[in-house]
Amino acid sequence: MQSKLSSLFDAFLPVIATLAALAVGAVMLLFLKVNPLEAYAALWDGAFGSANSFAETLVKATPLLLVALGICISFRGDVINIGGEGQMIIGAVLATWVGLTLTGLPGWLAITLAMLAGFLGGAVWGGIPGILKAYFRVNEILSTVMMNAIAVQLMNFLLRGPMIDPSQAELASKIPQTARLLDIFHLPRLAPTRLHLGALIAVVLAILVYILLWRTTAGYRIRAVGQNPNASRYAGIKVPRYVVLALLLSGAFAGLAGAVQVYGVNYRMITDGSSSGFTGSAGFNGIVAALFGQLHPIWSIPASILFGALLVGANKMQRVVQVPSALITVLNGLVVIFVVSSEIWRRRRQRRRLAAAPVEESPPEEDQPNVQTKEANQ
Amino acid sequence: MTQETILIGLAGVLAAAAPVIFAVLGETLSERAGVINLSMNGTILLSAMGGFAAAYTTDNIVLGFLAGMLIGALVALVVAFASITLKQSQVAVGFVLALTCRDLSYFLGNPYMGLPGPRLQAIPIPVLGDIPVIGQLFFRQDPITYISFVAIFLAWVWIFRTRPGLMLQGIGEKPAAAFIRGANVNLMRYVYTVIGGALIGLAGPAYSLAIRAGWMGTISGLDGIGWIALSITIFGGWNPSRAAFGAYLFAFLQWLGLVLQPVLTQVPSQVLQVAPFPLMILTLLLVNIGDAEWVERALAAMPENTRKIMVKLLRAMRASPPAALGVPFERD
Repeated sequence: MQSKLSSLFDAFLPVIATLAALAVGAVMLLFLKVNPLEAYAALWDGAFGSANSFAETLVKATPLLLVALGICISFRGDVINIGGEGQMIIGAVLATWVGLTLTGLPGWLAITLAMLAGFLGGAVWGGIPGILKAYFRVNEILSTVMMNAIAVQLMNFLLRGPMIDPSQAELASKIPQTARLLDIFHLPRLAPTRLHLGALIAVVLAILVYILLWRTTAGYRIRAVGQNPNASRYAGIKVPRYVVLALLLSGAFAGLAGAVQVYGVNYRMITDGSSSGFTGSAGFNGIVAALFGQLHPIWSIPASILFGALLVGANKMQRVVQVPSALITVLNGLVVIFVVSSEIWRRRRQRRRLAAAPVEESPPEEDQPNVQTKEANQ
Repeated sequence: MTQETILIGLAGVLAAAAPVIFAVLGETLSERAGVINLSMNGTILLSAMGGFAAAYTTDNIVLGFLAGMLIGALVALVVAFASITLKQSQVAVGFVLALTCRDLSYFLGNPYMGLPGPRLQAIPIPVLGDIPVIGQLFFRQDPITYISFVAIFLAWVWIFRTRPGLMLQGIGEKPAAAFIRGANVNLMRYVYTVIGGALIGLAGPAYSLAIRAGWMGTISGLDGIGWIALSITIFGGWNPSRAAFGAYLFAFLQWLGLVLQPVLTQVPSQVLQVAPFPLMILTLLLVNIGDAEWVERALAAMPENTRKIMVKLLRAMRASPPAALGVPFERD
């Protein structure tokens, strides 16, 4: 009975950690002379208060989930992909180009091609650091960060030059944006809200990624390489190939997120010069969502919705109680730090349980995925 | 371009590299002890903001620098606690902190945006500053740049020429062996991570109180410096002198980009802005390529003479990380 209770407690640890983070946020709100209850009520209302706001939450959660799925694959393979931002941008650029060029196609075909283009663009942008890591031993954390910077400048160049909206090119203002996509190329809406097909695609892909990781040989090998590259090599797995595959797939999902963002929300690409102007930092927040979801594709769904809700609710909170919405991004970070730190209690109690258990029970095993990165291995 | 403007430019390169040098030295110490402090990008921003805020409110520039160091040390303490005591993934914790500190700096720094604050002035050193070329390059800088020169030297001596430095190398390479020799591995890791963090925290005020005085929020152009410093740490092979060379090289390339911009008008400005990043990737590639399996195979197939030269070349560029980097230590 007691062990049941305690495993229930384990399952709720992320929730408890989230509440703890919110409590810290409340203290910060008090410092800003704002009533935290009022602020959190506004947050909740903004995220879940009506059908429209809930749809908005899901719209924000969609790119987070897509990026998080890629992160699940790469982190399981012990490949730390920080390049979601750049991969999103390249995916979106390629998808936009497809939509603006192939204007003669029927809608469904153009959308399919554009999504594939996004997938491909992200795959290329993730594959480059993958090859650099697998065959040239370049640390992927650093190369993906650099690839982000390159992607941002590439986007700025294209949107100011070759891909600029022809009508903007004639104006003096020259807002760096592409032309708007044809109406028939927009991702279909799912309800009379802004919720679009992309959300459904993301959920289906979450299931597919689960199958990939735990029901296919390729997924097994990615995880094996992540757990122990040396043992994998002796077992005959071509380690470099799976390192590339992990980063390539990870980038592809981020690229798809970029394409979905263009075809489902903005209907064009626009830049303010920084990366977050287009991505809304989804490439980074997706990592946070994946970590919160314990690097499990299915658990990443609620995790993404939680962070989507925080982002949407933040706007409302900002309007109602006049606090900077940056507070929310701080809260996001706090949530993850608390979740990560709460692990210690789980482990400690697990040890105690094992110590108290009868001897004939199975030997203790590490049930955590080994996401410990060793730069020494690279 | 006259010799005068080139000299001024190069002196500027030395000054511009100072914050990167602090960050790189801090990260080198931390990683030498076996802890990756991935929060660096956020730490630099937060300490830049905090340092400026402290100096602005107290009107004391030294307090600003101390505040920056304190912030860096505190962030590093979180990294150390999560990775050493909680044995969590250093990368995950560091990365989240990198984002959180960045956002925190924008959020808390809002009231200080664009305020005119104190700024470190150049103090020419009396006699040395009058030496023709060298004086202008090295001895007419501001104090923090002088400190950066000294810091490179001290860090090098500490790591390679003292007993505690030898122990530090042991903790990062073979913690079990260092433990048997009587080192308190985890305590030492805490100490070096926090000291390293304080050094990283010095980088922020070195920007906001000297080179790019003031706090400009998202447009201060500091976002991304930490990641560059991280790759310079690797390029530097965890060796202060080589890391310093990397930092100066990077600052020089940036300056070159600025100088070349009016000359190469047909090149889009984005190309020059982005050029340091592919160059950094290339240097990382050169540093690590000697460890790749296929390179070893290719070397074995080469004729004796070429192979010797190639091996020498690769070994000169090579940099191996401390063997226990990122691995928690447990005595058993």
